[in-house]
Amino acid sequence: MQSSPNMLIKFESKSSRAKGIAFHPKRPWILVSLHSSTIQLWDYRMGTLIDRFDEHDGPVRGIDFHKTQPLFVSGGDDYKIKVWSYQTRRCIFTLNGHLDYVRTVFFHHELPWILSASDDQTIRIWNWQNRSLICTMTGHNHYAMCAQFHPKEDLVVSASMDQSVRVWDISGLRKKHSAPSSLTFEDQMTRANANQADMFGNTDAVVKFVLEGHDRGVNWVSFHPTLPLIVSAGDDRLVKLWRMSDTKAWEVDTCRGHFQNASACLFHPHQDLILSVGEDKTIRVWDLNKRTSVQSFKRENDRFWVIAAHPEINLFAAGHDNGVMVFKLERERPASAVYQNQLFYITKEKHVRSYDFQKNIESPPMLSLKRLGSPWIPPRSLSYNPAERAILVTSSADGGVYELMNLPRDASGAVEPTDTKRGQGSSAVFVARNRFAVFNQAIQQIDIKDLSNSTTKTIKPPTGTTDIYFGGTGCLFLITPTSVVLYDIQQKKHLAELAIHGVKYVVWSNDGLHAALLSKHDVTIVNKKLEQVSTLHETIRIKSATWDDTGVLLYSTLNHIKYSLINGDTGIVRTLDQTVYLVKVKARSVYCLDRAAKPKILTIDPTEYRFKLALIKRNYPEMLQIIKTSSLVGQSIISYLQKKGYPEIALQFVQDPQTRFELAIECGNLDVAVEMAKELDRPKLWLRLGSEALAHGNHQVVEMAYQRLRNFDKLSFLYLSTGDQEKLARMAKIAEHRGDFSSRFQNALYMGDAQSRIEMFKEIDLYPLAYVTAKSHGLTEECESILEACGLTEDQITLPSLGSTLSPPQPIIPTFKSNWPVKATSDSSLEKALLGEMEALADEAEPVSNGVNVEAVLEADGGAAQNGHLIDDEEDDAAGWDMGEDIHPEVEGDFVNVESEDAGAGSSEADIWARNSPIAADHVAAGSFETAMQLLNRQVAAVNFAPLKPRFLEIYEASKTYLPASAGLPPLVNYVRRTVEESELRKILPIIPKDLESIASKDLQEGYAAMRGNKLDDGLKIFKRIVQSLMVNAVSSEQEVEDAKKIIATAAEYIVAMSIELSRRAIGTDFSKLDDEEKKRNLELSAYFTIPKLEVAHRQLALVSAMNLAFKSRNLSSALSFASRIIANGGSPKFVEQARKTKAACERNPQDAIDIEFDQFADFDICAASFTPIYGGSPSTTCPFDGSKYHAEYKGTVCTVCEVAEIGTPASGLRLFASGV
Amino acid sequence: MDPFSAEGVAILGSVQPWGKTHPAKAHQLLNIHNAFHQGQYQAVIDFDTSSLSPENALAARVLQLRAQIALGHAEDVLADIEGEDDEADLAAVKVVAQYAAGDHAGAVSAAQQLAASSADNATVQVLAGTVLQAAGKTDEALALLAKHQGSLEAVALTVQIHLQQNRTDLAVKEVTAAKRWAQDSLLVNLAESWVGLRVGGDKYQQSFYIFEELAQAPSSSAVKSLVGQAVAELHLGRLPEAEAALQQAIEREPDNAEVIANTVVLSAILGKSVEEPLSSLQSAAPEHPLLQDIQEKSELFDKAAAKYTPKVSS
Repeated sequence: MQSSPNMLIKFESKSSRAKGIAFHPKRPWILVSLHSSTIQLWDYRMGTLIDRFDEHDGPVRGIDFHKTQPLFVSGGDDYKIKVWSYQTRRCIFTLNGHLDYVRTVFFHHELPWILSASDDQTIRIWNWQNRSLICTMTGHNHYAMCAQFHPKEDLVVSASMDQSVRVWDISGLRKKHSAPSSLTFEDQMTRANANQADMFGNTDAVVKFVLEGHDRGVNWVSFHPTLPLIVSAGDDRLVKLWRMSDTKAWEVDTCRGHFQNASACLFHPHQDLILSVGEDKTIRVWDLNKRTSVQSFKRENDRFWVIAAHPEINLFAAGHDNGVMVFKLERERPASAVYQNQLFYITKEKHVRSYDFQKNIESPPMLSLKRLGSPWIPPRSLSYNPAERAILVTSSADGGVYELMNLPRDASGAVEPTDTKRGQGSSAVFVARNRFAVFNQAIQQIDIKDLSNSTTKTIKPPTGTTDIYFGGTGCLFLITPTSVVLYDIQQKKHLAELAIHGVKYVVWSNDGLHAALLSKHDVTIVNKKLEQVSTLHETIRIKSATWDDTGVLLYSTLNHIKYSLINGDTGIVRTLDQTVYLVKVKARSVYCLDRAAKPKILTIDPTEYRFKLALIKRNYPEMLQIIKTSSLVGQSIISYLQKKGYPEIALQFVQDPQTRFELAIECGNLDVAVEMAKELDRPKLWLRLGSEALAHGNHQVVEMAYQRLRNFDKLSFLYLSTGDQEKLARMAKIAEHRGDFSSRFQNALYMGDAQSRIEMFKEIDLYPLAYVTAKSHGLTEECESILEACGLTEDQITLPSLGSTLSPPQPIIPTFKSNWPVKATSDSSLEKALLGEMEALADEAEPVSNGVNVEAVLEADGGAAQNGHLIDDEEDDAAGWDMGEDIHPEVEGDFVNVESEDAGAGSSEADIWARNSPIAADHVAAGSFETAMQLLNRQVAAVNFAPLKPRFLEIYEASKTYLPASAGLPPLVNYVRRTVEESELRKILPIIPKDLESIASKDLQEGYAAMRGNKLDDGLKIFKRIVQSLMVNAVSSEQEVEDAKKIIATAAEYIVAMSIELSRRAIGTDFSKLDDEEKKRNLELSAYFTIPKLEVAHRQLALVSAMNLAFKSRNLSSALSFASRIIANGGSPKFVEQARKTKAACERNPQDAIDIEFDQFADFDICAASFTPIYGGSPSTTCPFDGSKYHAEYKGTVCTVCEVAEIGTPASGLRLFASGV
Repeated sequence: MDPFSAEGVAILGSVQPWGKTHPAKAHQLLNIHNAFHQGQYQAVIDFDTSSLSPENALAARVLQLRAQIALGHAEDVLADIEGEDDEADLAAVKVVAQYAAGDHAGAVSAAQQLAASSADNATVQVLAGTVLQAAGKTDEALALLAKHQGSLEAVALTVQIHLQQNRTDLAVKEVTAAKRWAQDSLLVNLAESWVGLRVGGDKYQQSFYIFEELAQAPSSSAVKSLVGQAVAELHLGRLPEAEAALQQAIEREPDNAEVIANTVVLSAILGKSVEEPLSSLQSAAPEHPLLQDIQEKSELFDKAAAKYTPKVSS
């Protein structure tokens, strides 16, 4: 028997002796009744005392919460039972009746009853609704120490100092109290004689069984929650287990171990365990089935008096001489490990299972770990090694053990692992593909072991090391109570040390660059060199953490999931109603294990942290995306942005003008500020705007602000300083209107207008000043007139000495005309991103409007609409990919697999490729160019290989890698396969770059873009590259072969079309300079350009071009036919409209001015070499590769489209896929 | 036998694998030895050898000289060991230096002499074997290497030669045999990963683990390992990862020929233009097999294409 390390104390209080304990069924509360007459209400999660209730006189022994109502009941040595409301925090009423100490009180689980046991030898049932005593059970002939209701049946069990345990049947009482209101005479009789035996000797409560076996007083008794079992604890130091049936009850067994009075006992609510406490200062846990001790916990000085179990969760509380402790018997954290998309975890049944995050599937059990550690102790940790598919499990049983075992390939049920390696150690983790570290705390030693479990190296960790964790490749984190050490195993040295207290868990980010060190209340993020990046503190316990793929840490506390960015910013993601252990985050899903070790998915809204992350990384497009797609607008995010110094970004979110104004001022965006100030039009705002604008030197805004504020003086001064004489004059006028003399004076002064100053002085009878002014400006006439007016002569006046004339400086530059070079408005990057996006859109739109010579007829804005349509068409077309089945060409069985067993050099993988495949591309990759060419010659009649040279070399260059090996020798050459999973030599095939997918998604789109953008030279090159790349290629299914053929055909049409148009332009597009023959050819080619099967939108471009050209050349009949085709094709309204007009114009006189060889009514192909029509029935030939048509005379020449194949030569057809391989 | 363990003597190639020498002696050389084979040549040269026992000092010196040669300082090495070639170990180093300095014929004949005279010396086996193989005398190289007494270096070299001969079967045998008595030594791991990259399938991933472990651990990280990691990723079809690893490598050693060569391959697989990496390879290592190979194939193409006579229409 050991003092178990597994008893996890969650809360401890210090007080006087605790005699009674009750858990709140829902909240993290516990009531403690004390020997000192106080009742305490604690929040054991936060560790705070919520309330205290002091109305009892003397010790309080019994206490219980009501299951649903905000009530609790207490019973004390003052003989009283009190019912309290914890909401009003008052005693509601007191039940009097007992004649001695009340030992225990309990609520009934559904009826409004309270059960009390008292030293007056009675057990009583009270109705707390009508506050009356409804039953008194007599029979015990000594103190009744404990009485409890059965959790389901109408039974009561009681324990007494008389050494007996009694089971009472109270079904009679229930019947009576649930009877209908109409009472019969008998009923009335019974009620009147409550507690008395009725005429048949029955009472409401009758003794059903008397259990005798204890040979001292019995202190406590409890029912089992589901089984017909009873457990009792007595002063004989024994814990006894009793079983009962309908008719009898008997003693099953005794648990011996307490060496002092056993005070209380109970059944574990979920497991087959009995818990008991005693005055021997121990808590003991017993196996219910074997009645053997499982573990015990001893306190040095405190005798235990009472124990209680939480009804739902795995928590217990025990009361002792100096308070209470709340504890768990075992860790509830399921051992688990995540590797890529898989979670490996150990269930409550000790089965190893896996869970696939992508498919959301739990595997069946893979292994059973029943024999690991001891039966009642769950495994502590799990470490997974993907290379070996092995797991390393530790258990804290027996001072710590570990086991190493391999996971079966397929989960086939909970089998016992075979070939298990085990040993002693408190922690064990994989540190490399074939190494794991085992830490033994007792002897303070770390052993590095290989997979056969033999020690290869021993490390002495710093003293006091408590745990080890994986510390990055080849390294360990050594955890001591005050620090974490990064230790390099190979070099055997400390790389770094960081002082953090009490680290309990280490969680690595997915990219292995950061780790989160979790302690009870702190999360510290470090990089892989163990340098602290950030830290955060929580007031409640941190339970687990996991990293988002973007490098955001999500962690769970007891009741929240929160996030932390690398820079330490945190926030709440969601609340939790039960504790979970996070294992992975993917998009909006958080994967976690609950305490029952079940994988669960919680949905979260990652917007907030994604946004903040984007902000930190200055990833504006992402932010923009978030802003657009989510409703992330709130005061919190705005203040966050403001606080973090991104007012310009916050500005983008805000609608409220006041806030917008503030933000605009803050980021110096005056335009927005002005706009908002206008909208709000408050003096205060104008004032702030004015001073801000002044600081910027933006005097036009300042002017506006002053105007709005009617701040004339400042305005005048502003005009003075900007040199705006005209406005200054106007200000003077205004001043005159306003009759504001000092303002007039000022303005006159600013303007240097002495005359008007004098006038003003005269007006207000300040002749002396007027005179002085006139005098000093040398205005003699004026002086005289003033003197005259005053009736004075010059002699009569004594003047102070006059200085020089004061005139205001004239501005050198007329600044007022434009703003001073102001600080550039901080154009937010976000705005730029917005603008950028707009530009991108514009880019998209542009090429169309200048596409294919549509000339000025098209108005610019037609382009956008056209563009929109193009996209639609393309999508339609992509959907229409699925073509019918084609004939499967037979496999050419022309290779023999030779196994070379003779000595000397073997054949290289390249040779094997060539042997394995009938596909030309594979031969190219193998470097066997001759055979590749032979194949192509046979398959598509390829003769002109020169254009394929870049493609050949490209494939060849991609075929092998160079691995540096021993010094002094050339690198080892290895062959890159497209069959990555395959190691069977007969099936391996080389990688072929530019596969069908990349051609379809990249090159083809580039080609279309070139068509739209009228970059036909480029387009021609791109499409030729496409056909040539596809000629030497390999695909992975028959379906893809069809897709490839489709692309070849499409590309061929574009090549023909572009070649036609290019040759037309080569003739010259300026009609005035062309002779008749050239004109004719030009018109013909423009007509032929409309023949190849282009995308509809592209064909419209060709048609519009042909129509316009024909119309201008007065070839009205042709123009009419093109117009009709445009209308028939529909699409862009601009084109259709234009076509209608043309059609109307042509219909008046449908005649061609120049006769061209173009029969609009006949069905014909265009010869790809001569660009002349091949009418149905006339002899023609085709390219065996791309199917382009030619006049018969071209037979035997090289195809102008693919430039490789020989026209009209029979061929077996291109092989891109070999199903047999 | 194990690099982590004190008894990891076999890897030093000096003692029989089952024999035990004084553990401390072996351990002294462990780090320098591993550094050499991980391609941390500068670390090997900088290694403090002052505290080594005389016997180990020679082994360490040989490693340092070889590191010098690997870094392209063959001439310096030749000067350094001038007149000391009575010692078989140093004579073997001289052979390698000669070969690296361009004196192929001289090196080969010297190697053949050494092979005849001191075939029991592990250093001679490895170094003369290297030269013989480099000169194309594979059979002689293999015969010499076959004489080794528990030298893992000889095993690794043998494995490489088998792979160059495309005898994967023999290479697998060799590695399996070596694993039996020296599981998990660095060289066996490396040899296993070389073989793994040739065998493919599941083995790609295993090889990847080995290279990744070396490349990502701070103590053993070297460009050579990074290239190995990149190559493994490339074979696994994890192209972005391969690109990242190569990028890391190129940041550390922009002129490393193998890094550039594999960049060429990766670019080709990604369908990107290979011109830029090819030209930098041209300037970094004009003799690189990739360049020779491409040149050869380009000529081959022209020759093969000339067999066909296309008729081009006017």
